[in-house]
Order: sequence, then structure tokens, then C-alpha cells
Amino acid sequence: MKQESDIEKRVEDALNSLDGIQRAAPQPWLFSRVKGRLLRQEEKTKWETIGSFLSKPAVAIAGLLLILGLNGVLLFNQQSGSSVVVQNELQPNDSESLLASSSNFDYENLVQP
Amino acid sequence: MNEWTLIEQLKQGDEAAFRTIVDTWQDMVYNTAIGIVQNAEDAEDIAQEVFVQVYQSVSSFKGDSKFSTWLYRITITKSLDHQRRKKRKKRFALVRSLFGEDSEVVIHPPDFNHPGVALDKKEDATTLFKAINNLPENQRVAFTLHKVEGLSYQEVSEVMKTTVSSVESLMHRAKTNLKKNLADYYKEKE
Repeated sequence: MKQESDIEKRVEDALNSLDGIQRAAPQPWLFSRVKGRLLRQEEKTKWETIGSFLSKPAVAIAGLLLILGLNGVLLFNQQSGSSVVVQNELQPNDSESLLASSSNFDYENLVQP
Repeated sequence: MNEWTLIEQLKQGDEAAFRTIVDTWQDMVYNTAIGIVQNAEDAEDIAQEVFVQVYQSVSSFKGDSKFSTWLYRITITKSLDHQRRKKRKKRFALVRSLFGEDSEVVIHPPDFNHPGVALDKKEDATTLFKAINNLPENQRVAFTLHKVEGLSYQEVSEVMKTTVSSVESLMHRAKTNLKKNLADYYKEKE
């Protein structure tokens, strides 16, 4: 029982330990350090800014997906174009087939008079 | 000098106005940050970041709220972001050490001593800060603003963009959680 009330008292003491707390202050010359930080940020070149933007995971992944997508579209377009060409090559026009049939002559087995 | 005059001058890039702003509000910003992140070096870093952001985005401050309220919001956002980043890093280091990669040891930070606490209350305050660290974010923010920064419930509600009754409820839940947490701690200690 005594232990319970002891713990309750300690809990209350801990909860009240921040009563009358004073504000903490930073190290002196904070303004100079803020100024230095600002200058360093301004010195960052345009390319560094672009680089850091591109290196963000979301941007990098989106860029990669875009490139892959464009590649896919180009590949698809190329394939559908080449299949037409192949089709044209496999189906010669009528004049060619006529020529082919006319030149289809068996010279080897030609019966000599 | 008037707060609004200072802000207008800062909007025009006046360095003297910026210096006055930093000097006037640095303790408020630092004390809030140290209350949340519970580390002097991190709080210093956050205070610098806050004033850099103030300088860069003062043009977006329209005066709908008090300047100090705006500053509190920036400080809290940056402090919470900082803590989340730190926790993420800690988790990542723990996972890596579990897989034997780099076998980096996860270092537990030393107990936090707020420099503004009276000497005879230091030990109790350290235990309390440990318990505060385990509270959910919004309860932690409300408790810190009220107890460490000494803001009224009305002021806390303005900073947190909520109602006074919500702050009352947050504080009630925070105290209940802290009591339970502290009681468990002291029972374990005995």
C-alpha cells in the first residue's frame, strides 16, 4: 500500500517538475550562423539545384518510367511498321509473279531435237 | 519597433530587420525545438533552419495569424520532421545491424536535461521528458507548448489550428498516458 502511494507521489512530482521552467537559449551568435547558412544556400549553383531535384527518388523513378514508356511506344511503332514491310516483301505484285512463272523453265531436261 | 514594420522591412530584404527578428524570437524557437527533439545540437540546427525559412518565405506571410504563431508552426513542423527522419535512420540502422551489414551499433541518446529546469527537479524532469517522447505527436506538441513554452490553451489551439476543447482533450489524454507511463517506469525501477 505504502509502495503504491509512493509511486503515485513520484508520478505527481515528475508531472509537476516542469512548473516554473525557464526558457532555454541557443548558443550566442545565432544570427551569424543563420546568415552563413543562407549564404551557403545561395551559393548552390543552378546545376546543383537541378541535380538535387533529379536525384529525388520520386522524380528519378518517374523519369525512368517515362523513358521506359517512350522506349516501349517507339519499339511498338517500329515493330508494327516492319511487319507491313515484311508482308509487302512476301506478297510480290502480279507482274513479278508473271515473270517468275514465265522464267520457270527446265533447262536441264530439255529434249534436244 | 513594431512587429509589422519589421516584417515589411524583411520582405524588402532589410538585413537589420532580419537581425532584430532573429534576436527577438530565437529563444522562443529554440526552446520549442529543444522541447520536442530533446537534444541541444538538433534544436540549434532546427532554429537555424527555421530562420532561414522565415527569410526565404516571409513574402507568403499574410498576417492572418500572429507572427509568433507562424513561427511556432514552422518550428513544430521542422522539429517533427527532424524526429521522424532520426527515427527512420535508427530503424534502418537496426535492420542493417540485424542482417549483419556494417554491424553498426544503434546508439541510444543520453538522458535529456532541459537547461531551464530547476536543479532540484532535474531528475524528475528527465524521467518526464522520456515519457513525453513516447506520446503520440499531437499530444506531445500540445503538452510541450503548454508546459515547456507556457502557452495558454487558447494559444496552443491557434498554433495547432484547432479548438480549445480539442486542446483540452489532447492535454487530458497526454496526462493520462504520462501517468501510466511514469507509474510503469517507477514500478519497474523498484
